[in-house]
Amino acid sequence: MNSIARLVARDKNLSVLLVMTAVTLIVLITLLGGRFLSAGNLQSMSSQVSEFGFLALAMGLAMLTAGIDLSIVSAAVLSGIVGATVMSGQLVPITASNSNTLMLVGILAALVTGMLCGLLNGLLIAKVSIPPILATLGTMILFTGIGMVITNGQSVPIAISSYSALGAATVANIPIIFLLMVAAFLVVGFMLRRTRFGRRIYLFGENDVALRFSGVRNDRVIILTYVSIGLLVGLAAVIMVSRVNSARVGFGESYLLQAILVVVLAGFNPYGGRGRVVSVALGLILLQSLQSAFTILQFNPYVKNLIWGSMLLLVMVVNYYVARWNPRGAAPAKGPGTTTVIPPESAPSAAAETHRSPDAVSTGGRAL
Amino acid sequence: MKTSPFRAVFNRRSTAMEKYLLAIIIGYIVIVALKNPLFFSVETLFDMLRSGSGVMILAIGVLIVLVSGGIDVSFTAIAVVSGYTSVKLMLALGIDNILFAFMVSIVVGCLLGAINALIIYRFNLPTLIVTLGTASAYHGLMATVLGTKSFPTGAMPQSLVNFGSTDLIVINSDTGRYGLTVFLPIVIAVLVLTWFILYRTMLGRQVFAVGSNEESASRLGINIFRTKLFVYAYSGALSGLMGIIYFSELKYVNPVSLVGTELMIIAAVVIGGAKLTGGEGTILGTILGIVVVQLFQSTLVFLGLGSSWNDLFFGAVLLISLGVMYYRQRIQDRKNLVFATA
Repeated sequence: MNSIARLVARDKNLSVLLVMTAVTLIVLITLLGGRFLSAGNLQSMSSQVSEFGFLALAMGLAMLTAGIDLSIVSAAVLSGIVGATVMSGQLVPITASNSNTLMLVGILAALVTGMLCGLLNGLLIAKVSIPPILATLGTMILFTGIGMVITNGQSVPIAISSYSALGAATVANIPIIFLLMVAAFLVVGFMLRRTRFGRRIYLFGENDVALRFSGVRNDRVIILTYVSIGLLVGLAAVIMVSRVNSARVGFGESYLLQAILVVVLAGFNPYGGRGRVVSVALGLILLQSLQSAFTILQFNPYVKNLIWGSMLLLVMVVNYYVARWNPRGAAPAKGPGTTTVIPPESAPSAAAETHRSPDAVSTGGRAL
Repeated sequence: MKTSPFRAVFNRRSTAMEKYLLAIIIGYIVIVALKNPLFFSVETLFDMLRSGSGVMILAIGVLIVLVSGGIDVSFTAIAVVSGYTSVKLMLALGIDNILFAFMVSIVVGCLLGAINALIIYRFNLPTLIVTLGTASAYHGLMATVLGTKSFPTGAMPQSLVNFGSTDLIVINSDTGRYGLTVFLPIVIAVLVLTWFILYRTMLGRQVFAVGSNEESASRLGINIFRTKLFVYAYSGALSGLMGIIYFSELKYVNPVSLVGTELMIIAAVVIGGAKLTGGEGTILGTILGIVVVQLFQSTLVFLGLGSSWNDLFFGAVLLISLGVMYYRQRIQDRKNLVFATA
């Protein structure tokens, strides 16, 4: 019993999420049975989750640095529009010989646009010191504006037929785009856990001033983070365009709320420094299963809104209680996912004690 | 020497942001007027006042929340939900009275705002994410319980239609008849009331104090919960007021419109100098911010640019203003060896 409590306490959010996902899946499978577990449904679920998965991952990265990126959807739409314009045959007429090259150029253009969008966000946040929420609010409007001016609000169709086949292609019945998303999760997970850059993202979220005075170039960490977000957004755009076979302003607007929902569901702290890629994956499974269940049950979009909104609130309230719950005999938590926090009430007294202790004073004196 | 309390209003110094916005507005108007003299007409002015009234009321709600250190994205949902509830109730009870419409709508808005405050305070959660959740929850609940049927002019309560067409001053010209909207005194009343609360009452001082530093405010003996309850309930009540104005201005009740424009309005208030970190923001700045947005929305046509350019222009102005505002702050902070990102 003790060991289970210890295991649960190691990452409370993950444990809660795991239980929630398991219960939801069991309920859905008993209720819907074959309709939920059918190969067709699983396949459509895995391809639907792909484009959204990239956006959720991007939002997660932003939240790790105590930021938020409101511009992910509009940046994805803009990247999609740029990519689609290249592949629409409007710029260069498409012939049988150049269609493959154009497709590559289109994909590259979308990725580069995404990264440039991210770079702009990063520069505004790191070099101009605009708070992330405001910087990305501004770029969100700007990117939408650029997209509107390019397309005049019209949809940009794609003239290369093999491109949409890419969105529907499967390997062993698993959509390629789904595999692409899994790969992205693995890469980002590895980056956050095993590289210096990943460690710095967490540290920045915990305490950016401390990180700066540890000799790390803060600005670079932020710019690189937002460029990575831009790359993920560009990938989402590539998939989005291949699934719909066109791009237009206003596509996927509901993804913004859902991306924030998944990331908060996954236990990311909006004040930065906490959150794991595994939890994002679990959150995605939970959200997507519910989404398909709603589709099978033919819920209207407003009921979905009601459920997403209430879920977001419920999850935060549950997290609030989970954070206060401390099973007896549990080992002190370790790792960035669950670092113990000093409750705000006790923080001033702790600081005062440090000041009173003679050691602290003498080291302080020496340092000065 | 005794100074009247209103002396301060006329002698106050404009903030840097207000001056900067004023310069943008004047410069823009000059360019538009040079390009197209038709722009300078009473008609354009009356038109902008009519279409800007509702947004202005919402913006005041946003301002007071920003001053208290929070950010609320549920106000458009609250406006639609309370307005629609009120219309539904009027139709169901057969009461066709504009005062009743306002009363119901404001009460509902006030309640929804209070729920926001309760959740935010009780669980100590980030305001953005809470209101993001409540916005979809409120709107989804309304759609599920009351439906999303829209009412055209003929089917909506007659008093709303009449109220929307009421004019204070009517001018007849060869281009047609146009009037000064009855919404204007309501907007002015809201502005004066909010100014009075913010700058002439203890409550207003407490809102600023909580926004500047919640910890210090609570140690001063300010009741944080009561202050936040007031802030969100007031913002909700203003949204309720705007819901009725919105429906009667359009003469069409559509419960799925308006939601989605909240970030634009927040951006307008932020351009006016309100800071997300709280404790800062002026009513004049907010008015100027809304004027900028309204100008772009209604006058790009005069420049020969389609409406597709709206977002591009506004996004660029927003980013440049934010850039100027925060870069100055950054230089100041670096000088004082402050490195914390607020």
